[in-house]
Amino acid sequence: MSDTIFVGEHGKAAASSYDHGAGHKASSSDVPFLLRSGGGGGLRRCLGLIDLVLRVAAFAPTLAAAISIGTSDERLSIFTNYFQFRARFDDFPAFSFFIVANAIAAGYMVLSLPFSAASSKATAVKLLLLICDTVMMGLVTAAASAAAAMVYVAHEGNLRANWVPICLQFHGFCQRTSGAVIASFLAVFVLMILIVMAACTMRRS
Amino acid sequence: MEGSAEHGETSKAPLSKGISKGVSILDVILRFVAIIGTLASAIAMGTTNQTLPFFTQFIRFKAQYSDLPTLTFFVVANSIVCAYLILSLPLSIVHVIRSRAKYSRLILIFFDAVMLALVAAGASAAAAIVYLAHKGNARANWLAICQQFDSFCERISGSLIGSFAAMVVLVLLIFLSAIALARR
Repeated sequence: MSDTIFVGEHGKAAASSYDHGAGHKASSSDVPFLLRSGGGGGLRRCLGLIDLVLRVAAFAPTLAAAISIGTSDERLSIFTNYFQFRARFDDFPAFSFFIVANAIAAGYMVLSLPFSAASSKATAVKLLLLICDTVMMGLVTAAASAAAAMVYVAHEGNLRANWVPICLQFHGFCQRTSGAVIASFLAVFVLMILIVMAACTMRRS
Repeated sequence: MEGSAEHGETSKAPLSKGISKGVSILDVILRFVAIIGTLASAIAMGTTNQTLPFFTQFIRFKAQYSDLPTLTFFVVANSIVCAYLILSLPLSIVHVIRSRAKYSRLILIFFDAVMLALVAAGASAAAAIVYLAHKGNARANWLAICQQFDSFCERISGSLIGSFAAMVVLVLLIFLSAIALARR
């Protein structure tokens, strides 16, 4: 009985992406996965797959950035009266915050992988995922830009405040932290795409 | 058009329309709050200027926001976000009147996300520099300049509050737009 109602509503062309009873009953096992069921179900599965891939693509840079800065430790072979001859992420609170935030974001990406394949009817789950993605994007952006500010001061110094650019001595440390900041900004970009895609999918259902 | 799609919901139609209108009105109010926050932050940071009555050989005796490039980026980012929010205010007012808008809400979510990233970047970079100015860094031999420039430091610390509040408000705005999209 529910089939006839849905078939009737398909004829009205109110929304092209209804995938309920008629769609599931029409799919058979010999139709390719992405092309199954009518009305745009294939497109939704494609978007779900892209969502999964993007989540993994956001997990990798955050984890790499956290590990890279966490293992940064450079000792100089020289020492003077004014400079300490060792640089680690501990010495800069911004980098500690960066590691923590990126670790949280990487953990969240892994935990949200199963939820990203939620069905189109579960709008509450999708909404929760969207809000968590937005919060994570804000967090990772904050961490990345705080670390970027530190890296900028370490590279250029500041004439007015008499802050010496330490990168002139600590080459390896500076390279590592710069690379980690870039990776983190990449993750921010991917998270932004994820948010817009989630909003698009919500519009379709 | 409208009656045939809602044949199962005629008893709930006024309530759901009321909720949609409430969501849109909350959207407008939150945009106002974010406009005020970013504008106040940009102005507070942009008008910093402190000249010390004494001078030494090592430290300059004048501090402005433009001496630290990160604070310049903060002012610019907050100005851009403020301008965007002012420009998007008419669009969200239109959403109050016409709740059936689909694509404009999506565009609004996209730009809100971009502006969230921008304001988060500006606010947290400035926060890192303000922390550095307050505490200094023993390892890198960076002096805490707040010990001399206390009114400058107070100003730059206080102007961060409006920016962080605008960041939270932008997250709420994205959430509200998503709710409005999901309720269709």
